[in-house]
Amino acid sequence: MKEIRIAIKIIKTLVKDSIHYPSRLYANMFIVISRLGVILLLYSYVFKLNGGVVNGMTYIVVAWSMFFYFIFSNLNLRHIARFMTEDIKSGNIEVFLSKPISYLSYKIWWTFGKNFYNFIFVGFIGFIILFLIIGIPKSMTIGLFIPTLLLQFILASTLIIIIYGIVGLFAFWIEEVAPIFWIVDKSVMVLGGSYLPVALFPNFLYKIAIYSPFGASMFVSQIVYDTWKVNWMGLVLIQIFWIIILGIFMIWLFKRAKDKVSVNGG
Amino acid sequence: MVDNNKYMIKEIKFALYVIKKNIQSSIELRSSFLLNVFGMAINDTAFIILWVYFVKSVGVVGGWTTYDIIGMLGISALTFGIVYTTCYGLFKLPDNVASGSFDRFMLSPKNILIRTATSAIEVAAVGDMLFGIICICIYGFLIHITLMQMILILILIFFTSIVFLSFMIIIYSLSFYFIDANVITNGIFQLFNTPTLFHGGAFQGALRFVFTFIIPSLLISAIPLETIKNTSYRSLFMIIILSFVWLFIAIKFFNISIKKYESSNFMTFGN
Repeated sequence: MKEIRIAIKIIKTLVKDSIHYPSRLYANMFIVISRLGVILLLYSYVFKLNGGVVNGMTYIVVAWSMFFYFIFSNLNLRHIARFMTEDIKSGNIEVFLSKPISYLSYKIWWTFGKNFYNFIFVGFIGFIILFLIIGIPKSMTIGLFIPTLLLQFILASTLIIIIYGIVGLFAFWIEEVAPIFWIVDKSVMVLGGSYLPVALFPNFLYKIAIYSPFGASMFVSQIVYDTWKVNWMGLVLIQIFWIIILGIFMIWLFKRAKDKVSVNGG
Repeated sequence: MVDNNKYMIKEIKFALYVIKKNIQSSIELRSSFLLNVFGMAINDTAFIILWVYFVKSVGVVGGWTTYDIIGMLGISALTFGIVYTTCYGLFKLPDNVASGSFDRFMLSPKNILIRTATSAIEVAAVGDMLFGIICICIYGFLIHITLMQMILILILIFFTSIVFLSFMIIIYSLSFYFIDANVITNGIFQLFNTPTLFHGGAFQGALRFVFTFIIPSLLISAIPLETIKNTSYRSLFMIIILSFVWLFIAIKFFNISIKKYESSNFMTFGN
């Protein structure tokens, strides 16, 4: 109960902070919409060249798949790795660890709250714009869509936080975790279906995307595929598997990390 | 005129000296340096994987094959690497202006723009350079490169670096106009950056015009590649002219923008 109260308090405070800086929100909206806009324009040209269908996928499905990828990425949960690394490098970790709340859960909620308002606002505006321009595919009109979208939001957020949290914890052992971050980040980018939707992957890469934790953290991009209504349960089980395995690993790593802390100077 | 030339040569010599010292000091932390360099090079290969599979799925778009994409990524990575390694100070301008640390550049007897740009180095960018060189070598091998094309690459890398540097000067000069400049500069940078990593063949019509003349992303990626591929002197001439135009605008804009600077009076001398 106390944990939930703290989480709500952190998120509320950070949302209030975001509301006070509208320029950041507009800039964020500009970044997401312009980047996504450029990519979608290019894809529309590519689909036109191919007679409207590539690998059995239509433009509208690919566009929405990329929309969900980019909007979910806009939650910026991956920044947890950077926040943790900064705490460890600066020595602030000492202050956090001496507080009567768990450092890990504090950082998780803080990362979540930091961009939550932007995510909701930009997501909503982006949804309206894309809906008005290209409409929505059939797969988004079925009853399963909204419940599984919410489920994906929870599971994908949890998995992303765990993956990047592990990267951040490595800073206790390695001084420079940036290279690990880049490799993990690019794995999520490629296997999650950022510039190239998963549906256009060749068979073996598709399998890697499905069974690896990197691809699993972005199953939200597959929610608009026609195959979703058949596959969704299997994909959710894969996500839960990775959440359990990597979650246990993260907790174990954090316990080991706490023993490793040594603060130099003051 | 002679005095002006002497002054410029002196400034460039100073800039090269600072860059050399920056690199030397980064190499001192050997393991961190190597980790960053190789980490970045591996990180960059993600784009090759992406576009190779894109071509496999979608087919040839705008006459662009997998080889062309490797060449294009090589040119843009090498351009990024050169500018990030030598002029990373520019990217720190929003923080320096906001914190007041820009005072020390203002008080420097050297050229402010050169002093600002060369004040920092991004070690990981050496990885971009490494990746870029490897990609260009692979591209050269795959297309059986001619001597003329090799010379073209060398000339083009110089001018694409000028275009990129110029546009970065313009973007980061905006730091003098906005309080929350980091967000704005980052936004424009992202808009510039996205097309440099995208399949060049997909840019046609109005989009190609916008990303060539208004936001010069294609000038450091797709257009140089097409220039090499077709050995087009017309394109080369266009890139050279545009690089000078962008450089001129950038220097003018920086000098105008700098007048907007107000010291924050933080005690940051020597930082």
